[in-house]
Amino acid sequence: MADFKVHQRDGEGVSVIDLKGYLDAHTAPDLENAFQRLLNDRKFNIIVNCRELSYISSAGLGVFMAFIEDVRKNKGDIKLTNMSAKVYNVFDLLGFPILYEIFKEEQEAIKRFSEQKKS
Amino acid sequence: MSRLKKTIFTLSAALIFLAVFVFDVVRTTAGQEFGWWQYLREGSVFVAFLLLFLFVHASRTSRPLAVPKNIGRLLAYSFAIVVLMASLMFISRAPADAGGMNQTAQGALQILTSSIVVVSLGLFSISALLTIRELVLYKRKRGTKRNFIAYVAVMLAANGTTLFLLPGDGRIVVTILFSLAVILAVVNSFKQNWVVYLSRREKLFSIAYSALLFLTFLTINLLLGQSAPEQALMRYHLPLQSFIQLNAIFGVIYFGMAFVSALFHLPTAEVYERKQSELTSLHNLSRLVTQVFDFSDLVNTVTSMTLEVVGATSAWLELVKGRREDGAVLVEVVSPKNISLQQIEGIAVDSDLSLRKLIADSKRALSIEDVSADKRTKHIKKLGVPVGSLLSVPLVSHDELIGILHATKDFEYGFDQDDIDVMTTFADHVTIAIENSRLISESLERERFQQEIMVAQRMQKRLLPQRIPSYASLDIAAVSEPSLEVGGDYYDFVALDPQRLGIVVGDVSGKGVSAAFYMAEVKGIFQSLSKICASPRELILRANQALMDSLERNAFVSLLYAVVDLHRSRLSLARAGHCPMIYISGERSDFIRPTGLGLGLTFDDIFDESTQETTISLKRGDVCLFYTDGINEARNPDGEEFGFDRLLQVAVNSRSESAENIINAILQEVRNHTGGFSYGDDVTLVVVKMQ
Repeated sequence: MADFKVHQRDGEGVSVIDLKGYLDAHTAPDLENAFQRLLNDRKFNIIVNCRELSYISSAGLGVFMAFIEDVRKNKGDIKLTNMSAKVYNVFDLLGFPILYEIFKEEQEAIKRFSEQKKS
Repeated sequence: MSRLKKTIFTLSAALIFLAVFVFDVVRTTAGQEFGWWQYLREGSVFVAFLLLFLFVHASRTSRPLAVPKNIGRLLAYSFAIVVLMASLMFISRAPADAGGMNQTAQGALQILTSSIVVVSLGLFSISALLTIRELVLYKRKRGTKRNFIAYVAVMLAANGTTLFLLPGDGRIVVTILFSLAVILAVVNSFKQNWVVYLSRREKLFSIAYSALLFLTFLTINLLLGQSAPEQALMRYHLPLQSFIQLNAIFGVIYFGMAFVSALFHLPTAEVYERKQSELTSLHNLSRLVTQVFDFSDLVNTVTSMTLEVVGATSAWLELVKGRREDGAVLVEVVSPKNISLQQIEGIAVDSDLSLRKLIADSKRALSIEDVSADKRTKHIKKLGVPVGSLLSVPLVSHDELIGILHATKDFEYGFDQDDIDVMTTFADHVTIAIENSRLISESLERERFQQEIMVAQRMQKRLLPQRIPSYASLDIAAVSEPSLEVGGDYYDFVALDPQRLGIVVGDVSGKGVSAAFYMAEVKGIFQSLSKICASPRELILRANQALMDSLERNAFVSLLYAVVDLHRSRLSLARAGHCPMIYISGERSDFIRPTGLGLGLTFDDIFDESTQETTISLKRGDVCLFYTDGINEARNPDGEEFGFDRLLQVAVNSRSESAENIINAILQEVRNHTGGFSYGDDVTLVVVKMQ
């Protein structure tokens, strides 16, 4: 089974989760824990950087669905960035771009967060 | 020895004694010697006693009794003997002609009484010798038996010589042998091992019995020196007199020593008894190790045995669940005995001095000798719990603390080093038992899980259509291969009317039993809604509403619903996040992908707004291919996915084949790609071809 890694770093007013490798039913709990920690710390502006994410299964998609409601209830958001075409296609098929903001670059997402804060 | 043999022995002995009695009466009346008859008589007496010995020996071994009971019985016999001897003396002292009987009758009576006394004495001596033998040989060591046999041999030699050696110079041999026998009696009397193994109560009895036996044997010895018994014995059988006397002396020495020995061992009786009960308890526990099918029974026995093993007032077991970040030990208290959970929490106060923490860190037994004086447990005094001393031992398995066993006593200094050692040993057994119990329950659980999976697999199979509906102008084929366990792939048909066919292909997120349940729900929803919904879009919107309450937040269902209308030669399609349909018509091939969100992603208006419906017209030879992501995501050993492009290519290449052959071609190509590996996920394919 290929590796999966979750790494978290904090920027200005946003928290970034870097995903690497295969996100499936076996590795989904790692991402769940990362989200849960952010929610516990009341950090609701979350960017998930998928630059090194090579595969996502339905269980992986489920993790985002499990947390988006709580995050948005607290005036925050989960934004996705830097997806490979293949990964984007999985998100796209299911209709994620309708519900989630997906950006090519992390910087765009950060900018979007700061715009939202102003408005 | 059989009953018959015993009867023959006793009867023969009795007959011999009767014959000897008659002989004696005749001899006394006639008042003369009978020459060699005399020797025959002595021989007969010896044989009779030998028979008696065999009889007594056989009776004893066939009825083994506890040691104190045997001594008690001997004591009863010895009393009877003393009484008999005393009455003999009384009778012999009485005036000879008191009854006015003739001399012959009087003589016979006297011989009868002395004979009875002598035979009883002999019988008693045999019994005494055998009882002492049993005591001497108890927990024997090398040489114990040899010493005893030496005594018996010397004693018998001394007895024998009395018959053959005349008074005078020969006496000296008798005296030497006699003294040697007494010395050997003393040597044998040091063997008092039996005393050690008695309980306190039995020791008390033994002290009383041996003291009394000492006295009765002493009395017998004294009485043997009196003229009447001495005369009677000497007249009856000389060796017997020596036999009885030596054994009486042995009795005095042995039971004198036994009395002293039992007295000295009395203070250690309690310790011995406790050791004994500890051993029994530990033995019980090793048996318990195999009885681990019921965990609550197991822990219950553990704490009740703790009470027994160290004689504790209260006991409880804590199973370690983990540790908090600050080091506090999280436990579950199970099966407390004579103490409440509230009291236990009071005792195991959550602080730096917490007993649990101390044990978890040291993994060693902790004994608090005086609870109210020790700073670690001073707080207990305020709780009003009767705890004087406390002993806690860790249960360590593979270097990991899995539990703590606690025992308390209501007085200070209640646990000594022995208790700590025993509890530690006990804890090791408990650890093994608990580990075994957990392993067993885990394997049972695994088995149960496999059973569940099998049920889910069967259920999943039954949820898929058992046969494909037949339409004159449609060639339909479908296949669904679940992956190793239970997948979430679903397809179904519904014959709406003779001209309209509904086709659904979906994928429920997750696997296993939960996926099977969602699938069942989706089937129910599909089967009922397809009859009432006018369009595929409407079905998807209503299906999303229907699933709102039952789907978990992280679960969703992707679905593709198409209705083929043969009358109008068209297909309408709505998609809820599922893989797009492949449509091949002549040279044209396309992914038909109306927008739409997966069911369960959101229940807002945005779901309805973004769900669209597409309609395409159909003509002869057109192929519609429905599939799940198990196809396009099938990987080769390098991790490369089969992909949509390959899928489209194979479909296009085989478009002129029958629906079934199109499916076979795709599956073959996927297998070629994966290199015979399993698909990794469920694969489902549905092909509908216009003909």
